[in-house]
Amino acid sequence: MNIRRITRMALLTAIALTIFVAEAQIPAPVPIYGVKLGLANIVTVWAVFLLGPADAAMILLARVVLGSLITGQMMALMYSLGGGLLCLCAMIPLRKVLTDRQIWVCSVAGAVFHNIGQILVAIAITRTPSLVVYLPVLLVSGVITGLFTGLCAQFLHERMRKLLRL
Amino acid sequence: MRSTRFWVLIVAAVLAVSLLAAAVVRLASPGGSVAEITVDGQVVERIDLDRVTEGYTFTVEDEWGSNTIQVEPGRIRVLEADCPDQVCVRQGWISDEVTPIVCLPHRLVIQVSGGTDAGVDALS
Repeated sequence: MNIRRITRMALLTAIALTIFVAEAQIPAPVPIYGVKLGLANIVTVWAVFLLGPADAAMILLARVVLGSLITGQMMALMYSLGGGLLCLCAMIPLRKVLTDRQIWVCSVAGAVFHNIGQILVAIAITRTPSLVVYLPVLLVSGVITGLFTGLCAQFLHERMRKLLRL
Repeated sequence: MRSTRFWVLIVAAVLAVSLLAAAVVRLASPGGSVAEITVDGQVVERIDLDRVTEGYTFTVEDEWGSNTIQVEPGRIRVLEADCPDQVCVRQGWISDEVTPIVCLPHRLVIQVSGGTDAGVDALS
């Protein structure tokens, strides 16, 4: 692993973490578990597209663990890990069939699978399978927030391309 | 590589199906509303919200913490909880099964359903 790559990952982790912590300070408009913008995912989506699966996974993992430590919500760690891992599992194969004008699609899929992961974690921890009725609401929110963060990543990519010469 | 139009359609389809499913959950719930409070998968309390005439509060304590629950005619909420995130408290009142209250740290779930046990199974 060369220094350039480590530095790039560290930088992106720091950016993601900053976004994550800042977002945690804003009271959620809809205070329901799992419904939030998830702005830190802009970094994850972008990393999946431009740096590859391994780098994206490491950035996500570092952000999720450090983010939970900083915000002091260790239970949220369970949600984030379940959601985050499933989200990556969806985005990595999808990335192969998308062009770099379609980054936002990856983000929507990621958000949707993130929500599915969260529900699975909630069902496992509370042992209440009927929580699955909650899924449709989360999916609607996932598509909308995923679209938003995806478009952010899309615009970011188009402007950063020249800058980074990736 | 698929065209962007293809992906737009896919995303729109997912959104439409989710909206439809959310609507079905809401519409298919039979009349009446029974709140069921479960801790770690075990039902600890069942309250018929339509029969509540006067509001009251009570506290559910388990080995992970305590939640004070407030009941009013037709609705229910978590008034206080000693968990760090307070998501269940901020969620406020619920009166239907579309958005259950989940207090993950205490493994507590409050779900409102149509009263019969068939509630969820009838949908799926």
